[in-house]
Amino acid sequence: MEDLKHLVLLIIGILVAFFVVMTMVAYTVLAERRVLGFIQGRLGPNRVGPGGFLQPLADLLKFIFKEDIVPDKSTRFVYFLAPMIATIAALMTMVVYPFGPKITLPLIGSIDGLVIARFDVALLYVLGVTSVGVYGIALAGWSSNNKYSLMGGLRAASQMISYELALGLGLIGVVLQSGTLDLYSIVEQQAGHLGISGWNLIWVQPLGFIIYLIAAIAETNRVPFDLPEAETELVAGFHTEYSAMKFALFFLAEYVNMFTVSMLATTLFLGGWNGPFVHQLPWLGMFYFLGKVVFFLFFYIWLRGTLPRFRFDQLMIFGWKFLVPAAIINIVLTATLQWLGVFDYFSQFLKTQTGFWG
Amino acid sequence: MAVLFILFAGLAIGCAISMVVQRNPLYSAISLIGVFISLACLYVTLAAPFIAAVQVIVYAGAIMVLVVFVIMLLNVEEEERGPLRLRSLIPIAVMLAAVLFAEAVFIIFFVQANPRTPALTVSDIGMTSSIGGGLFTTYLLPFEITSILLLMAIVGAITLARTGGLLSPRAAVVPGAQVFSKEMLDREKYIDDLTPVTTQSTREAEHLLGIENKDQSSKT
Repeated sequence: MEDLKHLVLLIIGILVAFFVVMTMVAYTVLAERRVLGFIQGRLGPNRVGPGGFLQPLADLLKFIFKEDIVPDKSTRFVYFLAPMIATIAALMTMVVYPFGPKITLPLIGSIDGLVIARFDVALLYVLGVTSVGVYGIALAGWSSNNKYSLMGGLRAASQMISYELALGLGLIGVVLQSGTLDLYSIVEQQAGHLGISGWNLIWVQPLGFIIYLIAAIAETNRVPFDLPEAETELVAGFHTEYSAMKFALFFLAEYVNMFTVSMLATTLFLGGWNGPFVHQLPWLGMFYFLGKVVFFLFFYIWLRGTLPRFRFDQLMIFGWKFLVPAAIINIVLTATLQWLGVFDYFSQFLKTQTGFWG
Repeated sequence: MAVLFILFAGLAIGCAISMVVQRNPLYSAISLIGVFISLACLYVTLAAPFIAAVQVIVYAGAIMVLVVFVIMLLNVEEEERGPLRLRSLIPIAVMLAAVLFAEAVFIIFFVQANPRTPALTVSDIGMTSSIGGGLFTTYLLPFEITSILLLMAIVGAITLARTGGLLSPRAAVVPGAQVFSKEMLDREKYIDDLTPVTTQSTREAEHLLGIENKDQSSKT
């Protein structure tokens, strides 16, 4: 009985998380177009529904009903496999993020944290699944039998391999500090006065945060690192030959990746669901979490409206000669400070709960 | 658990067979990735999540990406199935396979069925903390030696790749310009000289390198 209840709760959790993330992804696309419009002094889509609110639905319908063109000389099997790999790898990381703290529901009873799967190596799982996502893009570029696609796929693969390294190294500082790879415990450790003072970002990992943020933008192929789909050079990069729903899958994968990367940044650096008064009202935690994620998504869009694109050699030099050494310095620095006991001294003031503010 | 084991073991075996049988190198590489991922899933069911994660990150996420990369760059065609070389090794292969099979049968039907075999105990050997603790205490020396070995491999790879003709790291490459190192002009005169020589057009570069097409230049 207990097992059955657990299984049902798990399935409900997956469905809810999937629904929430998909809805937010759909509206991120709309928000991107509206915010970019605002930045560039134009309106953006505002015709479908009040203020363009139903635009994502219209886009989805359009993708479904478009003609699906498969290039004649493509490698069929890989051509169909690639968008699936990209989407599945993007969606699979969703299960480990803690959306909220322990809450009590009517009928069901208390739930031990709003997280679908909590396990020992959650952070490594995220890195592993993300690294498999590279295949989706690389294989798409290869199987399309198109020079632009191939160039885009190669660029994407080399860029993602290079920045994955900086990304992983940038996270080690946080792991060193919390002494665990379990995301839920990492969030729990970041509680502090008002749920703010304990955040890893502010006091202990500013360098790690910056490295992670830059590498994460490069990992998701977004401006200013969107060379795999640089339209002035490569038409549309690796998805040039994809149309209709298969293109939509790549599109979806990109935005879901943006979302998961933002969730990881929130979890590791911005205290996850921690915030003022979460201990009195646990439900607030979920909104804090999603709010912080939305901030990162806005940051992505903001960057897209602001920055020009890197050149490819600049991209590689920046990744290997600046980000990786900086990440290594961060690791050594964190380890040294940890060894000297500086963080313990800090956390006496910052991370301990006080009864009143809690 | 048994269902999961059968599922992933079957997947691993299927992918492994497909890897050997496929004639397109890229399909073989994809099958190998499938093998790695199924193995990682098996590790998870064996309570070794850390090893599973590392398996995916290192093998599926890094090494195989490079293999796929090379296959994509070389644009390898489908291999023709030629006559079988090393035909004499077939009996040995069959014999080895038989030994392996016999071993598996022995373990399942004799060792595990034996009441004196100690029952499986839950251990935390595959957990992150126990692996980390082991690496930095009991096995510190082998761990350090392996690190130095890896470092040597990296340095060696770079040294081998840098033999001549390459630009110095400071050479600025501007799109549209042709840049090569001084060493390429005259290998005897400038040995290991990586000073960049910049030319503004392809013809200028051809002229400097002495490879310009005489017929075309006389026409224009």
